[in-house]
Amino acid sequence: MADIEIEIDGNIVNAKAGEMLIAVTDREGISVPRFCYHKKLSIAANCRMCLVDVEGAPKPQPACSTPIADGMKIHTQNEKAKASQKAVMEFLLINHPLDCPICDQGGECELQDVAMDYGSDVSRFTEGKRIVVDSDIGALIQTDMTRCIHCTRCVRFGVEIAGIMEMGGTGRGEDMKIEPFLSEGIQSELSGNMIDVCPVGALTSKPFRYELRSWQMNAVSNIARHDLVGSNIYTQTYKGKVKRIVAKDNDSVNETWISDRDRFSYEGLSHVNRLLTPQIKVEGTWKEVEWNVALDFAIRGLANNVFNTHQSDKLGALASNTATLEEFYLLQKILREVGSENIDHRLNVKDLDHAISLESNIKLAGLEGIDHALVIGSNLRLEQPMISHRLRKANLSGASIDVINAMAFDFNYRLNSENIISPSQTAATLAGVLKSVLQNTNIEVPDYLAQIEVSDITTQLAEKLSQSDNSVIVLGEHIINNPQASSIANLVGEIAQYSNSTTLNVSATANSMAANMAGFVPGKDGLDVNAMLTADLKAYILLDVYPQYDFHHSIQAVEALSNDDTFVISLNSFKDDIVSEYSDVLLPIASFYETSGSHVNIEGKIQSFAAAVNAPSDAKPAWKVLKVLADLLELPGFHYADSAQVTSEVMHQSHKQHTHDESIDVKVKRDVNIIWQKSPYAVDVLSRHAASLQATKIGQINSASMNKATAKKLEVAQNDEYLGVPVDINEAVSNNCVFVNANHSTEAQS
Amino acid sequence: MISNKAKKQIDAWVVKYPEGHQSSAVMEALKLVQAENDNRLTPDTIQAVADYLDMPGIAAAEVATFYENYNHKPVGKHTIRFCHNISCMLNGSDELITYLENKLGVKTGEVTKDGLINVKKVECLGACVGAPMFQIGDQYYENLTADKIDEIVDGLK
Repeated sequence: MADIEIEIDGNIVNAKAGEMLIAVTDREGISVPRFCYHKKLSIAANCRMCLVDVEGAPKPQPACSTPIADGMKIHTQNEKAKASQKAVMEFLLINHPLDCPICDQGGECELQDVAMDYGSDVSRFTEGKRIVVDSDIGALIQTDMTRCIHCTRCVRFGVEIAGIMEMGGTGRGEDMKIEPFLSEGIQSELSGNMIDVCPVGALTSKPFRYELRSWQMNAVSNIARHDLVGSNIYTQTYKGKVKRIVAKDNDSVNETWISDRDRFSYEGLSHVNRLLTPQIKVEGTWKEVEWNVALDFAIRGLANNVFNTHQSDKLGALASNTATLEEFYLLQKILREVGSENIDHRLNVKDLDHAISLESNIKLAGLEGIDHALVIGSNLRLEQPMISHRLRKANLSGASIDVINAMAFDFNYRLNSENIISPSQTAATLAGVLKSVLQNTNIEVPDYLAQIEVSDITTQLAEKLSQSDNSVIVLGEHIINNPQASSIANLVGEIAQYSNSTTLNVSATANSMAANMAGFVPGKDGLDVNAMLTADLKAYILLDVYPQYDFHHSIQAVEALSNDDTFVISLNSFKDDIVSEYSDVLLPIASFYETSGSHVNIEGKIQSFAAAVNAPSDAKPAWKVLKVLADLLELPGFHYADSAQVTSEVMHQSHKQHTHDESIDVKVKRDVNIIWQKSPYAVDVLSRHAASLQATKIGQINSASMNKATAKKLEVAQNDEYLGVPVDINEAVSNNCVFVNANHSTEAQS
Repeated sequence: MISNKAKKQIDAWVVKYPEGHQSSAVMEALKLVQAENDNRLTPDTIQAVADYLDMPGIAAAEVATFYENYNHKPVGKHTIRFCHNISCMLNGSDELITYLENKLGVKTGEVTKDGLINVKKVECLGACVGAPMFQIGDQYYENLTADKIDEIVDGLK
């Protein structure tokens, strides 16, 4: 990489021709002050703080926008450089209120730090300072724009990273203000990153306002478990509470960014609905008890209902997708040790005989290097924000992106084509694409594709995939409950194989990769979740399950679990009326950031984390509860001292695969299809309890969208309720499709 | 909000720029839209221009608030654009602006009750040789005095 030599402060440094000077000094650990420069944003060179002396140049040069050349001699510390930096500092402080004592940024403020080094102790400015009236920009970001130094990092973040220009610089000269237009509030799902990039206290975290100073908190590295990326974060804690979350750099995972869901969901941890004490149900009434009493009660219940009558196959275990790798592993191990294979985490899948099976074989960072993508059935931006961000980067550097969706969504990049296709026609469309791909490569077309018509659309989609050197097919969440889900996944696999594309399966989210890795799937003689619900099981162990949110068949689930002779042990982090109704024991468990464990991201990368805080009151990490439960059941092989021992055991065992349907059905059935999605900030129990997230526009998404024709067929009108969700007549939805984005229970869902 | 006539005129500007750079026509578009909306821009009209040119509203607002020639408050039939930069200031523009304000009974930025006149302080109009000066419409009035201001302003209808 050493192309040329330059001299910085008398030392010879190797660098690449054309690199910006500041990138070189940063790499070499030479400190150059800056405000507007940010390594992930474009260069603005408007704060002038990074002025350095370049020999031969008549005036000091901004290091952020000075490309280096061979033999350049640079002084960052000589009198000329220092004098320029001090002069700029004086100008920047002229209009800054210096209200550090009441500013949330105090203690972690770039302006404060740089002013310590370059500022003067006395101001020569005696005139009046500028004041800017604040605008309310939503529930997540607090503004104090009088403190703004016009670095425009937030503006560039919006344009370049979030893909929506929301902040801008209006007015000019002394009257210039950084503000959003039409004060509708900031809408981006990545908006919280503006807080991180703001070098002063102009944009700070609203939920964290006036809480604490940064130096009072402990920062613990952690992993966010809301999506398939596992963004790296710091959980900042004080006296055993998570007070704030900020992004942690990891270029191969989340770069420097995190989604708002990852950043603000921690608020749910201190919600009043947390389950705090173990409880047992005696003759229909709940009694708070000690842990040993609750566990004894649980063991006796299992013995009475299952073990004493030798019907271990009447025991089932279900878990939500947010559990850790270790929790999934221990729970399935208990079940398998006692002789039951009834294990499942795919609670939201309608028909598991036709479930999606498709591997992901591209790295997150690799997504930036693709030249074409076909996205099928996903509103990627809100469902997997960081994956969408990588695709956006690829798109900005020239990749084309085609979409096949049941509804038109807001993409923050330009699409090559957006194909709005009824769910019932998705399989047939993909079959057409496969046929075109096969014809392009002169491979014989199999019989099942004989009747398929190749249209202009399928030809174009196929040509793009075949012609691109590095294409990826993304299969999204909206497909999971398509009646032909397995066929669609199999078609994607075939298309990928013959067009030489990679695949990315984002159809199951959160920590579902960990569930598969831990073998948290039914064994050969075991029942899947839907089979369990109709099999009259005698006992269940449920791990953080909330039926009205988690199950596709929520009504059947509640019925099955409520059976009088079914003994239900519920490990939950939050209280829930329905859970209380059917459970016999409630064991309070740790939520996110309160337990050690691991997340497995879409690459299969295991990212382990420690607990940042203790679980509140009597709640315990679920892996410990499961270990003790195993000990009480006198099962062998549960001598773990910490969760890391569980992790290494998981890594050394072979993965259990669930069987899947390999047939491909391409028939078009003309009935109305419902795509039922949890709205983006209601995907897990923690997000649902985070007040600020819920107060955002995205948090309030709750609608059943359908076009006029479908509404007529279903005999509903605008603002009626359909399956308990307000109807939104929207021509962006394909025919014969209801697209539900619900933030609450799926109570009426069939 | 944007008349078909204005749309046609905007389209004529759009084609002057390379494809995909239609937002370069924003200044002319704002000018045309302002002209047909009581000579002022509102957030709604700015958004309408932005939508028409397929650009973010805030980006159009940046332009609209940067330049002097866009109005964001109601204006009179005649806008007196009074220079207050260095040459005019040295030749007494501050006193003359106060004189004009008192004469009209309004401050700069306000419109007279009959809706006829408003006064706006502007930066240098490049007529320093005739300082102090102001501009009404396309006409420059130079070497101003109180008497001359009386004569000009009283003649406005």
